[in-house]
Amino acid sequence: MLEFIYLSGWGAFALLLSFQLPFMFFFLHLIYKKTYVDSAPSDTSDEKITKFKNIWMTVVVVLFVAVNLMSIQYMPAVSSARAVASGQDVMEVDVTAASWSYEMSTREFVAGKPIRFTAKSTDTVHGFAIYSPDGDVLFTMMLVPGVTASSLIYTFKEPGTYKIRCLEYCGAAHHEMSDEIIVKASTS
Amino acid sequence: MSTATAIIKRVPLFGRMFNVDTSTGLEELNAWPALMVLASFVWLAIAILLGISMPLSQIFELDSAIFYTAITAHGAAMAFPFTFQLMAAVGMHRAGGCLGKPITGIFASLFFWFMNIGGILFAIAVLSGLKISYAVMYPLPVVGVATGQWSNWMLVLGFSGIALILVSVIVLYPLQIISMLFFGEKREDLVLSPRSLKDPGMLGMAMAAFVLLIMGLPLLIVASAVLLALYGILPMAWVTWATEPMTFQWVFFIFAHNLMEAMAIMVISAVYATLPLYLADGTRKLYSDRIANLALWILLVTSVTSFFHHFFTMYPALPAALSYHGNIMSWATGTGAALTIFTICATVWKHGLRPGAGLMAILMGFVLYILDGVSAIITSNVAFSFQLHGTMWQSGHTMAVLISMSLMWIGVLLHHYPVMTGRQLDEKLGMLFVKLYTIGALGVSWSFLAAGAAGMPRRFAAWNQEGWMMYGYLILLFGLCLAASLIVLALNFKRSRSIEETGGAAVPAE
Repeated sequence: MLEFIYLSGWGAFALLLSFQLPFMFFFLHLIYKKTYVDSAPSDTSDEKITKFKNIWMTVVVVLFVAVNLMSIQYMPAVSSARAVASGQDVMEVDVTAASWSYEMSTREFVAGKPIRFTAKSTDTVHGFAIYSPDGDVLFTMMLVPGVTASSLIYTFKEPGTYKIRCLEYCGAAHHEMSDEIIVKASTS
Repeated sequence: MSTATAIIKRVPLFGRMFNVDTSTGLEELNAWPALMVLASFVWLAIAILLGISMPLSQIFELDSAIFYTAITAHGAAMAFPFTFQLMAAVGMHRAGGCLGKPITGIFASLFFWFMNIGGILFAIAVLSGLKISYAVMYPLPVVGVATGQWSNWMLVLGFSGIALILVSVIVLYPLQIISMLFFGEKREDLVLSPRSLKDPGMLGMAMAAFVLLIMGLPLLIVASAVLLALYGILPMAWVTWATEPMTFQWVFFIFAHNLMEAMAIMVISAVYATLPLYLADGTRKLYSDRIANLALWILLVTSVTSFFHHFFTMYPALPAALSYHGNIMSWATGTGAALTIFTICATVWKHGLRPGAGLMAILMGFVLYILDGVSAIITSNVAFSFQLHGTMWQSGHTMAVLISMSLMWIGVLLHHYPVMTGRQLDEKLGMLFVKLYTIGALGVSWSFLAAGAAGMPRRFAAWNQEGWMMYGYLILLFGLCLAASLIVLALNFKRSRSIEETGGAAVPAE
């Protein structure tokens, strides 16, 4: 469940709706009720409203803290550090982006083996995003020329052909800046 | 008759909509804001056509250059000459009416000329081939010259336009507000609704002016250095510090992020100021000025350094500690928003409301703004950012923040319109506008966010893969709904009748 929420775009969308919809329906109901049904001043005491404020702010803060605390394990800096700490061999891959293609030290990988992608750009701002065979974004990196290369460790779970796309607008042929990598099943 | 009034009279079609009422003695308050509002709606009309052309160019598989031209011009027109100019116009009008100060000085007139001439220069450059998106994507403008995508002449023209717009946003607008707040004599004949800096409705105006001035200055310095080098006034070797991609990225996002936050602070303060005027029992008070002010301060303090969320996916070039700071600060802005939600709900619950198109536009704009805030904080979480950054989710957030704030400002404008023009709008048409706009904005926003969740890249001229075109059709459908709402709004402005003609129908006082 948590993996779905934090590691897929649709998980983010589900979380978005779970925050948005209750607010939207409550607010619209309130406006309708206090404008068209009974617009007279309410006799609710200030004490009750203050109580509502305290409950509301507590719920907001608890939700915000919970969502962010649970996300920590899915942050690439943390998951990369864990992969290193696990003692597994990490395969190193260098990526160089330039308008409008990628140079990669290899394009073939093995599922289940951690890979460190170290990517840089040599001309303008580019992106390096890997899509699963189902079309989901697994991760994206922003590559700004002249700064430390972007880097993270990722472990492919399934074999297949994975698409790479640039997600930072980089000029006339930005939409053609793509590539592919092959992930093979582990033999061990 | 002032220069601004004279210009309005000469503009075909739009001039009739925003003709200033010169009989009330308030021309010094109304003329420049009315001209700015007029200009902002001209830009909006252009932006709508460009916006609709984007999905159409994808559906009919036209040349990708058309899409990139449209996206650059649409984004730039929406953000600055439309939304910011509208906000500045209504904001100046509000400030003038609250403080009893005329809007006649050099800052107001220069703001108008710089913003619109800047917009025209940038538009010419874009139509001539400079396709850099409204986010500039530096160093793309320079790389584009080196790779023959556009000429150096277009770059110089485009940057000149951007420089004029930046001066108007970062210098002229804040100076106009600051000069009204702290200098000049108060004129009782211009006071419509007295307010001080203790009022949430005025505090936000001051905060936003200082944020723009302070957080925009680094970009202004860097952009000026680059522009002077492009003009050949300074040797390029002298400005290498400014042409470093990361230098530009930092100063750009410190400004751009805080520009949006400043606009949010301003519009929330405008909501705080306008809502009490429509309370049913006439007490005309927010539930708590103290909580409202606290929400503004939280928003201000937390948002200033939350701009790091634009760089999460550069790790480790952006150290993890700064990412976490940006993450925490971004979500902390949500606590300010939660207090604002409470204040508005408690005020409405306690007093009840009188319905009015202006108020409904403000409240529906507020709903859209909060809904967008959720999409903003989600993508400002480091973990989510690695799946969503660079997708249509980001475009959806940017677009939604602009159209939600625009709706709130249009709501404030509908409230100010009778004072500005001496004419009354039709309530039914006003309500129809609000309904169509809200449906269109919600639909287009969710379409963008769903497209982002599906991995559809932003600023990307190839929607015909991975089933993404479905989102294109939805964006077009709801975009047309938005366009229809704005046609209804234009009709309402065009059909407005003088207050005497309508029997002086009551409008909440200001």
